[in-house]
Amino acid sequence: MILEVVGLEAGYGPATVLHGVDLSVSEGEGVVVLGPNGHGKSTLLRTISGILTPRAGSLQFAGEEISAWRPDQIASAGLVHIPQGDALFGEMTVHDNLLMGSFVKAAWLERHERIERVYELLPQLKNRHNLVASNLSGGERRMLAIGRGLMTNAKLLMIDEPSLGLAPLLIEQVYEQIQSIKESGMAILLADENADHISGLADRVLLLESGLFVREGPADALLADEALLAAYLG
Amino acid sequence: MRLFWLPTSDETDMSQLLQAAWGGVLAGSVYGLMAIGLTLIWGAVRLLNLAHGALYVAGAYAAWIVIDLGMPLAVGIPAAVIAAGALGYGMHATIIRPMLGRPGWDSATIIATVGVAIALQAAILLVFGPRVKQIPAVIPGSTVISSVRISYQGLVIVLVAVVSLAALFFYLRSSRQGMAIRAISQHMDAAALMGVPVQRTYALVMVISAGLAGLAGVLLSSVLFLSPTSGFTPMIIALLVTIFGGLGSVKGTIVAAYLIGILESSVQVYLGGAWALPALFIFIIFMLIVRPSGLFGVPEARRL
Repeated sequence: MILEVVGLEAGYGPATVLHGVDLSVSEGEGVVVLGPNGHGKSTLLRTISGILTPRAGSLQFAGEEISAWRPDQIASAGLVHIPQGDALFGEMTVHDNLLMGSFVKAAWLERHERIERVYELLPQLKNRHNLVASNLSGGERRMLAIGRGLMTNAKLLMIDEPSLGLAPLLIEQVYEQIQSIKESGMAILLADENADHISGLADRVLLLESGLFVREGPADALLADEALLAAYLG
Repeated sequence: MRLFWLPTSDETDMSQLLQAAWGGVLAGSVYGLMAIGLTLIWGAVRLLNLAHGALYVAGAYAAWIVIDLGMPLAVGIPAAVIAAGALGYGMHATIIRPMLGRPGWDSATIIATVGVAIALQAAILLVFGPRVKQIPAVIPGSTVISSVRISYQGLVIVLVAVVSLAALFFYLRSSRQGMAIRAISQHMDAAALMGVPVQRTYALVMVISAGLAGLAGVLLSSVLFLSPTSGFTPMIIALLVTIFGGLGSVKGTIVAAYLIGILESSVQVYLGGAWALPALFIFIIFMLIVRPSGLFGVPEARRL
């Protein structure tokens, strides 16, 4: 088990959003958290990556308790979060944004090989390498955010709603890339609003409702149950 | 402020022009050193450090102590940088770090830096007294190039400033830590998610910024006099430079420093020293009406 979440509670100010969540991800596994907007998907990822401090519960990553760690310590350990809205460095070039992904020392030493690999996997970034990130299109921004995630020494990549705000054609592309990353052996924890594109990368699916997991199961069984998905996701 | 004495009579147009240019480069170099630190802190931490002038003075006094002990200025300059940098680190650890992120921290930290400035100046006054001191030149003497008198100390100042600014520019552009400073100034959460330790990087920015203030202090105090409050005017001009260049923009600050230096020096040469500061302020006020966010500034954008 690479990530083990037990009884996690978290929220903002007086509002509790997650009411005791259990979740685990094995090495190389693709886990997808499905749920409608506002039911705690982003809060879950933000708490795991340390942006939010958990109120209760335990977070274990690669055998270590990380619930009291700072975000940079968690990222350095290889638990990398690609947040909603991409969180790019808007006034840096594509190239510099990617390099920042390799900030952690061990990754920095290999940054040239890594960047070549990312350019190979996402060739549209190579064509744009000298462009400032804020001048990219929505799809290119998402690709850059994913590419930057690949520049890290990630053991587990957490991706928050990769399809948000993208044109249908681009959505296909983005999920294809994520799928090939998963096939290269990376563990992936993905949060999504709908089940349309995840069948290729999900091994296991969990349904999140009002801050609690209401269903959990192997992807093929759960994704085949259209009545269930329609009931939860609308 | 009439920083550098420039003779105005009995000279040809050409030599007046050269004088204005040299004076401008000299003043601009010092303004650049002073202002770049303010810009760095503003860009990365979103903090207006009004103790910058006190750090300038503290660095200069550290150099003065070293020189008073009989060591050369070549030892005094690093002493100034180290002393001011250490104070910057202390400021981060004791004042900025505990305040950051709290409600109202942006105004609270400004007031706190004023407090630091007052405390530092009072401490220096208690220890060293109110009498002005002077720091000797690295290389005394001067030379005349096409009827413009150029002091060797002036050359040293320009050289040290240009080398420091260029080094800082490349550090921010392509080193791991330098890029992290830019990253934090553009998107703090994203930088943390890439593994950048935010508080440690803030501390680094404070140390670099304060060290540069100390460097400006020791260099300029060899041209001007040194007293517990002599950092005030350089800080005000550095603020003007930073605002003119666009708060938070490194490139804008460097361009603005030399533009303001040359403007000030030209006014001194052609209109007389008394006009320099009024002309500067009129120019800045006009600039802010035309371009409210400065030369390279984008409204409310974070740039480094």
